[in-house]
Amino acid sequence: MQNKKTIFVCCGTGCQANGSMKIYQALLEAISGLNLKVEVVADIKKTGCHGLCQKGPLVHIAPQEITYIHVKTADVPEIIERSIIKDEVIDRLLYFDKQQNAKIQSKSDWTFEKKQYRIALRHCGGIANDSIDDYIAKGGYQALEKVLKTMTAQQVIDEIKKSGLRGRGGGGFPTGLKWTFAAKAQGDVKYVICNGDEGDPGAFMDRSIMEGDPHTVLEGMAICGYAIGANQGFLYIRDEYGLAVENMRKAIADAHSKGLLGENICGSGFAFDAEVVRGGGAFVCGEETSLIHSIEGSTGEPTPKPPFPANQGLWGKPTIINNVETWANVPVIINKGADWFASIGSEKSKGTKVFALVGKINNTGLVEVPMGIKLREIIYDIGGGVGKNRKFKAVQTGGPSGGCIPESKLDLPIDYDSLIAEGSMMGSGGMIVIDDRTCMVEFARYYLKFLSEESCGKCVPCREGIKSMLKILSDICEGRGQAGDIELLEQIGAMVKANSLCGLGKTAPNPVLSNIANFRDEFDAHINDKRCPAGVCKNLTKLYIDKEVCIGCGLCVKVCPVGAISGDKKQPHILDEAKCVNCGSCRERCAVDAVRVR
Amino acid sequence: MQIIINGKTYAANPGEKILDVARRNLVEIPTLCHSEALPGLASCRLCMVEVHESGRTQEVAACTYPVSDGMEVVTNSEMITAKRKILLALYNLIAPNSERIKGLMTRYHVKPFDRLQADAESKCILCGLCVKACEELGTNAISTLFRGTKKKIGTAFEQPAAECIGCGSCASVCPTQAIEMTEADGKRTIWDKTFDLQRCQDCGEYYTTPEALAHVRQKLGETVGNIEELQLCDYCKNRRTAEKLKDGLRLNELFAAKAK
Amino acid sequence: MSESLEISKESLEIAQKYQPKRRYLLAILQDIQKHYNYLPAEAMETVARYLNVPLVKVYGMATFYKAFSLTPKGKYIIKVCDGTACHIKGSVNLLAEIEAILGIEPGQTTDDGLFSLETVACIGACGLAPVAVINDEYHGNLTPASLRQILEQYQGGMEDAK
Repeated sequence: MQNKKTIFVCCGTGCQANGSMKIYQALLEAISGLNLKVEVVADIKKTGCHGLCQKGPLVHIAPQEITYIHVKTADVPEIIERSIIKDEVIDRLLYFDKQQNAKIQSKSDWTFEKKQYRIALRHCGGIANDSIDDYIAKGGYQALEKVLKTMTAQQVIDEIKKSGLRGRGGGGFPTGLKWTFAAKAQGDVKYVICNGDEGDPGAFMDRSIMEGDPHTVLEGMAICGYAIGANQGFLYIRDEYGLAVENMRKAIADAHSKGLLGENICGSGFAFDAEVVRGGGAFVCGEETSLIHSIEGSTGEPTPKPPFPANQGLWGKPTIINNVETWANVPVIINKGADWFASIGSEKSKGTKVFALVGKINNTGLVEVPMGIKLREIIYDIGGGVGKNRKFKAVQTGGPSGGCIPESKLDLPIDYDSLIAEGSMMGSGGMIVIDDRTCMVEFARYYLKFLSEESCGKCVPCREGIKSMLKILSDICEGRGQAGDIELLEQIGAMVKANSLCGLGKTAPNPVLSNIANFRDEFDAHINDKRCPAGVCKNLTKLYIDKEVCIGCGLCVKVCPVGAISGDKKQPHILDEAKCVNCGSCRERCAVDAVRVR
Repeated sequence: MQIIINGKTYAANPGEKILDVARRNLVEIPTLCHSEALPGLASCRLCMVEVHESGRTQEVAACTYPVSDGMEVVTNSEMITAKRKILLALYNLIAPNSERIKGLMTRYHVKPFDRLQADAESKCILCGLCVKACEELGTNAISTLFRGTKKKIGTAFEQPAAECIGCGSCASVCPTQAIEMTEADGKRTIWDKTFDLQRCQDCGEYYTTPEALAHVRQKLGETVGNIEELQLCDYCKNRRTAEKLKDGLRLNELFAAKAK
Repeated sequence: MSESLEISKESLEIAQKYQPKRRYLLAILQDIQKHYNYLPAEAMETVARYLNVPLVKVYGMATFYKAFSLTPKGKYIIKVCDGTACHIKGSVNLLAEIEAILGIEPGQTTDDGLFSLETVACIGACGLAPVAVINDEYHGNLTPASLRQILEQYQGGMEDAK
């Protein structure tokens, strides 16, 4: 009797950065070298993201359901010996769950997973990222077949409408309604586009889906093609996502070879083809009209809406553009039904949302939660809170288009409308946790600097408005803030929001305005007292070592790049303000929090 | 159909934009990048107005927003004018010497920012009219280059362009006179390229470059009558046309011939 | 054959892998960028002719998108991630360190052609923040001190500095 084991090695870009491909190779070599086929069939899959990126590289073994974290190539022989040939569990490679105060064998039992509900990420980590057979074995392409053989185009649209699915790229526009416009639009040539430009810094949800489960996106697009009358799809994937481009291209080729893309799909007579278009490196191309122009072979500069792409899009034809995560939800809705989908989430925001939970949080990674869950639950129950000795300050959502939600508002439910009411937005899913060591003024400036470089430059409100706001913020961060600056930022911000040509400009002031509203005291300290309370802005920070707290371990001396700290072993150390460049390395390194801000 | 602007009702045609109706009826909406010949740029964002339509209120650009029956437009609400002023003050930062912008600032009572410094050398507002003019009327010799605050208008490699015919369309549509075109001794220099100028057949003044002439000829085709008129400067062309029209008999004949 | 002519010939071959349609302009330029490590003027001229697209529009594309550079990039391309997670963990200090050691800012290449510096917004390795990628080698949990060591190894000719 064969003892079949499957090893799932996370080969998402994050874990690859940590060497997971070497682990995958080492496992392959070890297994083939041992000629185990008699006793054990070990199927090693390189998969997409498992979720808890903080603990990568991650390896999961079925059917025992063992999950190992922080795996190194050196661990491979032991894993083979004990967990593949035998059925043992290697305790030291297990995740120690602080909330349960125990080592947990399987990731499905981690506290991190408990409140999650994976729909868009349902296959990530559980199938080989380059295998259409794995996808089909999990029920892949059944939705497409169901649609082609048993549903009319109108029925498909009605089902998507009924589900309440809203665009996951950030806008939250009702997907079914958008498809209705395109279906009604005149013309026999229509297009379907996947927006895989994911430009928000700190966001990698779409990347993980495209890398780990490319077929779900293709299947969703083909279903839409049937519904609106389009036979050609384009997947616009940002230039920086090399692995996603590769995996998506392979997926398209594989789908073709199985008759699931191309002419006469499933013998139905319906034809749909897909092509990957690689982005050129421009955040603004995440905006739908810019994206369209980029595909057309021009610079990614937006054009006015109306007309909307659903009526006049790619090459002037009716076009549906949806985000990667939106596409990933479509096959599931068809298979399990709109009512099922609508039973998850909140009243106006149905289903789940994938978030990239990053920053000063203990459990960094990809999470998928039902809409309506409280922010507090994500930060503390799933995320495990902030690091020790640190205090939670805010969570940033919506990337450069969003805002910061402070501690006092953590009971906010995650849904499109609540976040907008709070001066932020859902955005594509980046969720960045910041602690008391982040300066909210500098943070606002960081986003504005990003946007000033990414603005296409076509319209004055965005191009010059952002530039002016950035100048004022830089002045504030560097000690040249003046009375009236906040009011001026608010006035210019209001104009940029209203007058900009596209979404980039219209949402650019959000991080600034949101931070001014929620952290006004920090701005006032910078302007009036020329002081940075968080100790980040170099010109406004003076560090010193608290003699009462310092234990004289000398770790700070080792990391100081300019030799500004001196002291004898076990004696309180001294920081020379004149030499200090405020890099903050000593603060980071100090185990007893002895480095303080004046 | 009808739309209402600032409380008054006006006739509108399907497919028109708010700005079309406003201009036709002499309702004032400021613009910088609008041109009858090169419409739809929508880059200056100065023409923003408030629109109430199907129970929704939004701020839209009048130059590209389509009219709908019963739509209500407000051009001068508190909301609109406050932002218009900030926008004009920003324009002043990037084109402080432009007569057109100075005029707009006076008209809308806008003071320059004292917190932010204008760039005394800057003239171009990057409205894109010149590029569009070169696309439609010229030879695609200039385009927008780079992006964001580094965006500029220029030729390929920012070197004198082989394609440039020296027609000067770009300079003539520019709302802030940002494109330098100099003429001296029978030569014209623009975008770092120097051209010979051709003389008008009637009055003998310099008026265009041979390259521009050849380009127009090529576009129009060699139809009868055009060739002569092309060799005339604008003034002489107008004068000749006026003379033709003065000849009423000829005009009646023309109309009669058309009616048959 | 002169170098100019050689580039024109080569880039035409690269372009001809695609049909001569405007929509392939981005992809062709990316292939050329990959081949030469920058976009030579002759290549852009060739592509403009092949696609029948105005040269200035090709140049406009080349200057708009970050994927392209008009001057050759260094042997080692350092990409410091300035995504939000890396930013709040001090990516700015890494950039300062690189400027101190190599004398270059983002977008620049050292005079000896050894290093080019770029910032990227989010590589997706947020668990390792702050991160820098040097020619596809990832270096995480960096401090200015550890980055200095790594750069010294590259300068010394060691490719695998991990």
